Amino acid sequence: MRWENFRFALFEKAPEALLEHSMIVVITITLAILISVPLGVFLSRPKYKKFGLVTLNILNLLQAVPGIAVIALALPILGLGMKPAIVALLFQSLLPIVRNTIAGLLGVSSDVKEAASGMGMSQRRILWEVELPLAIPIILSGIRTATVYVVSIGTLASLIGAGGLGNLIMGGLSLFRPEYLLVGAGLGALMAIFLDRMINYLEYRITPPGMRVE
Amino acid sequence: MIQLEQITKQYPGQAMPAVDKLYLSIPKGEICVLVGPSGCGKSTILRMINRMIEPTSGIVKIDGQDVTSTNPDQLRMGIGYVIQQIGLLPHRTIAENIAIVPRLYKWPKEKINKRVDELIVMMGLDLEKTRGKYPSQLSGGQMQRVGVARAMAVDPPIMLMDEPFGAVDPIARTHLQDELLRLQKEIKKTIVFVTHDINEAIKMGDRIAIFNAGQLVQFGTPEEILTNPINEFVEDFIGRDRVVKKLNLYLAEDAMKPIKCLVRDDELQNVARKMKDAGAEVAFLVNEAGKACGQISAGDVEEFGMDIEGLRKRAQRRSNAFVQTTTPFPDALSLLLEYDADYLGVLKGEELCGVLSFQGIRKHVYRKEGE
Repeated sequence: MRWENFRFALFEKAPEALLEHSMIVVITITLAILISVPLGVFLSRPKYKKFGLVTLNILNLLQAVPGIAVIALALPILGLGMKPAIVALLFQSLLPIVRNTIAGLLGVSSDVKEAASGMGMSQRRILWEVELPLAIPIILSGIRTATVYVVSIGTLASLIGAGGLGNLIMGGLSLFRPEYLLVGAGLGALMAIFLDRMINYLEYRITPPGMRVE
Repeated sequence: MIQLEQITKQYPGQAMPAVDKLYLSIPKGEICVLVGPSGCGKSTILRMINRMIEPTSGIVKIDGQDVTSTNPDQLRMGIGYVIQQIGLLPHRTIAENIAIVPRLYKWPKEKINKRVDELIVMMGLDLEKTRGKYPSQLSGGQMQRVGVARAMAVDPPIMLMDEPFGAVDPIARTHLQDELLRLQKEIKKTIVFVTHDINEAIKMGDRIAIFNAGQLVQFGTPEEILTNPINEFVEDFIGRDRVVKKLNLYLAEDAMKPIKCLVRDDELQNVARKMKDAGAEVAFLVNEAGKACGQISAGDVEEFGMDIEGLRKRAQRRSNAFVQTTTPFPDALSLLLEYDADYLGVLKGEELCGVLSFQGIRKHVYRKEGE
């Protein structure tokens, strides 16, 4: 271990890698939310409930494929760079969010929904004013799981030239410089912990006060 | 007026229809109780009125208009709806919960706030303490008060109540029932009230509809149903204490007789003669202020003779043997038994205005029974 290498990795290489990694995570999770939450809402509607099991199973399958395999499979189809990496990661992050969105929405007490509909609230209004606010803590917890997941699997994205903290790790491995490896892995872990805590706090803040008291 | 015309509801996969060719007219401004054993279709009927359930065939009309001519959401906004599970929105404050329907009607903010405050007070809840609370911070009884307030928010002419007080404890239930009856005297809404409890039905109903297995078995006032149960089912459903239940329908003033004899404390030695002269079976002791404070019956006079002290004590022991004109028979009977008395003084406020006897109650009920 040489301090020189460590310093170089941390101050010269890490900032760019961290920025790239954050970009991959933020873009992937944003896209994942935009796809998964509406999908979860759709699959929780009584009319379409029957597709729920099938969809969840497909997503399950997608998630069961090891991250490195997804990334390797994405390569011949989507080429090199950040875009294919994001697509590959996206596949892996959909399941927890969809599953939690469905669970959160179906978990809303039927008494509350019955009362709301009996008062003349439209189905759309019930979704926005009753179901989603009550389900949001659970949806967020799905987003949290997905985020941590993407941060760690994201390190593999460097294999197809997407950059990120994986660059440091792979570089460390191939150049026999454990300092690089340490900085890359350490920052990845810190990032995962930081995001996990942040979303956890958000979950707490966003839980309706009436539900927190219990 | 709500009219159900040849309503049938057949749930898929069930041999018997839940409701079978039902005709029912629910008059305006009355509480109509739908009662019957569980699974008799009473909740289904209620829920067909605001289209939470659509009938398989038949027409539901409100004031002559077919309910299917209105969009279900619009229809429900105009009908109060209270359910046993209450269903307050847990993430909204009490004030916000009550404001739901006014908000659907897009009332201006000040009007909503004013109405919410009015309702919280009307429901006997503490305005300052309750307004900003969340449902989970209230007791079951308080929550159902909010549930009723919420249903009345825009003052709908019709309220549907599905076992509204079924989940609250018995004391809170009695309170809620009494308050709803008191309110109803002022608001005169058409209330359709579902319960499986015949006692609640007798207490709440201007009219009772008894159902069994999707069929309307009997429809009438509580008195009609208790007096002439149409068949064995109704008889069983009401119970063997049918006539005792009827006692609930009458008040002390229905059977009270005028007072014949009042005595002051210093007239106690002459009480036997005074009663005889007046032809009274009972004399009431009055104090200097003219307030009734005891009673002496003919039996007491015989028992104590000239023992004035004994008579006074006996009279004073019954210093609470008085009822109000609006006291129902069962409470009066309970007092009669408690004091081992044959007579009760009937008060209107503070003023003594009549006498209610054991015999009088018996005759009154018997006469009604014989009609």
